[in-house]
Amino acid sequence: MTTETIERRRIIAERAPAIRRPRRRYRDTRLAYLMLAPVVVLLGIFVVWPAVYAGFLSFQDWSFYKDPEFVGWRNYVNVVTDPLFLATIGRGFVFVLMTVPIMLVLAFLFASLVVSVSRRFATVLKVGIYIPTIISAVIASIIFVLIYNYSGGLLNAGLAMVGLDPVAWIGDPAWALVAVAVPAIWLGMGLTSLIMVAAMVDIPGEYYEAAAMEGADWWQKTVYITIPQMKNVFLYLLITGFVAAIQQFELPLVMTQGGPLDSTTLPNLFIFNHFRNDVNVGYSIAAALLLFVVLGSVSAIVFKFVNSERLVD
Amino acid sequence: MATAQETTRIVLAGRDPRRIRRPRTAGAWVTLVAKGIAGALFVLAALFPLAWMVIAGFKTKTEVVSTPFQFFPEVWRWENYAQILADPTFLRTLGWTFLGAVLFTALSLTVNSLAAYAFARLEFRFQRTLWVAVITTMFIPGMTILLTSFIVVTRLSMLDTLAVLVIPGAASAASVFFIRQFYLNIPASLEEAAMLDGCGRFAIFWRIFLPLSKPPFVVMGITAFLAYWNSYVWPIMTITSPDRFVLQQYLATFRSERSTELGLLMAGSVLAAAPVVILFLIFQRQIIGNIKMAGLK
Repeated sequence: MTTETIERRRIIAERAPAIRRPRRRYRDTRLAYLMLAPVVVLLGIFVVWPAVYAGFLSFQDWSFYKDPEFVGWRNYVNVVTDPLFLATIGRGFVFVLMTVPIMLVLAFLFASLVVSVSRRFATVLKVGIYIPTIISAVIASIIFVLIYNYSGGLLNAGLAMVGLDPVAWIGDPAWALVAVAVPAIWLGMGLTSLIMVAAMVDIPGEYYEAAAMEGADWWQKTVYITIPQMKNVFLYLLITGFVAAIQQFELPLVMTQGGPLDSTTLPNLFIFNHFRNDVNVGYSIAAALLLFVVLGSVSAIVFKFVNSERLVD
Repeated sequence: MATAQETTRIVLAGRDPRRIRRPRTAGAWVTLVAKGIAGALFVLAALFPLAWMVIAGFKTKTEVVSTPFQFFPEVWRWENYAQILADPTFLRTLGWTFLGAVLFTALSLTVNSLAAYAFARLEFRFQRTLWVAVITTMFIPGMTILLTSFIVVTRLSMLDTLAVLVIPGAASAASVFFIRQFYLNIPASLEEAAMLDGCGRFAIFWRIFLPLSKPPFVVMGITAFLAYWNSYVWPIMTITSPDRFVLQQYLATFRSERSTELGLLMAGSVLAAAPVVILFLIFQRQIIGNIKMAGLK
């Protein structure tokens, strides 16, 4: 996941295709096909074919035990008219609002700190903030659910110390989504922060030197130099953060199974549960494809936007 | 002696003039302390849940969540760690997951580096088409194909085998892209000498590119290892026999089936997280160094 996001960015970075203009005869076609065969076959069977197959099945009434029957757009109509599914989309957006802005602000503050301290301290900070990234969602869920424990958990003990009443963090529909958002931020902070740091390091030092000569303070440098220089990075992190957050489903799957009262059933968890419980596979696949079309077009538009020169001064 | 060497090295490296220490004013000290505290808070927030997990591993099962709450155990006990390490199911799961992760990493590096070399150095028909096709697969979101991939592996009778965990995710466009990027930067002069010696294109890959591939292999290898080690959703869909459960599946099942043995669960989680944390700490320089802002300014 981590590297994938980085790679996507690199692809955008690389504008000129590296393929040289072929001569009339291709020198190494046979060897190249042999070397490409494993990847092409594996991607073909486990990525391309499932994607095509998903498109096909979304128009069928099908379950594992009977022949597919063409039903036109019925699955899609069922999905978009299903209040439960629409509610999960709304919940997904709420979840995005709970996680992404906080991550961006914290990561920006973190990056501002990292670029202003000694190299050694900066390394300690970067390694420290990145460690949660490599922890699995299952372990994060186990830790946080115990911290949230109503009668004996750390969090409520902390609240009691400042005189507040305990909260049923994952038992109360009003709090459960927040309770899932916290470990999501915890797991996602590392990459967001380090991308922010990398972007901030890239800002030419002369800008700051010139500003310092004019007597600008930290706040002015941040507002007039750092933030304008990093707007594309913000946009990029906003979009990747949005796509990642709205697709989150491992945490609620392990922490709450989507409950209580569906309050943590994010779109992908809804689709996943539907797939496991409902014999009509077409509905789940249509829902997944709809989500894909929405996310895919949002990402495509924004990636194109970021890639274009318009945003670069 | 060490000092002399150190000095020479610094002089040769050309010390950054901005880092020369100036006498600090009181205001500068305040800033410095404030930065130290802010940094400590960030690292503390990141590591606190993990520290809590490690400490909870030393608690009895009733101490992990207890009223009144205690952060530290009454007595520090090694029993949980000893007991989980003596549990044959846990050890088998650990070994099984490790085996799968190693196979997955090896397979992934093999197939992806072969393709990366072909895209970086060979000339062939439909090169551009294939490249676009491979890269496009990176943009297909997981959930769309998760469901149909499950149908595919069911049809292929791969359910409940090691193959279903290792094979489907091994080819990765991101990995092909990353390794190719590295290969594109290998100077052609290295190959020309080998060509004069009569090496074929594959021999060049084998004798020149592979031995140079450590940097991308470290980053992509760790990425693959982590992905396998931390995977949960795909295993719960495809692995049904408890004796073939992978680590995350084991932990999640442990949590729901033996929900009172919290100290043991914490110790197990610590031991499950430790290998990847150690792996990361060993290679942190390469992994963090890989996060750059190529062309996104």
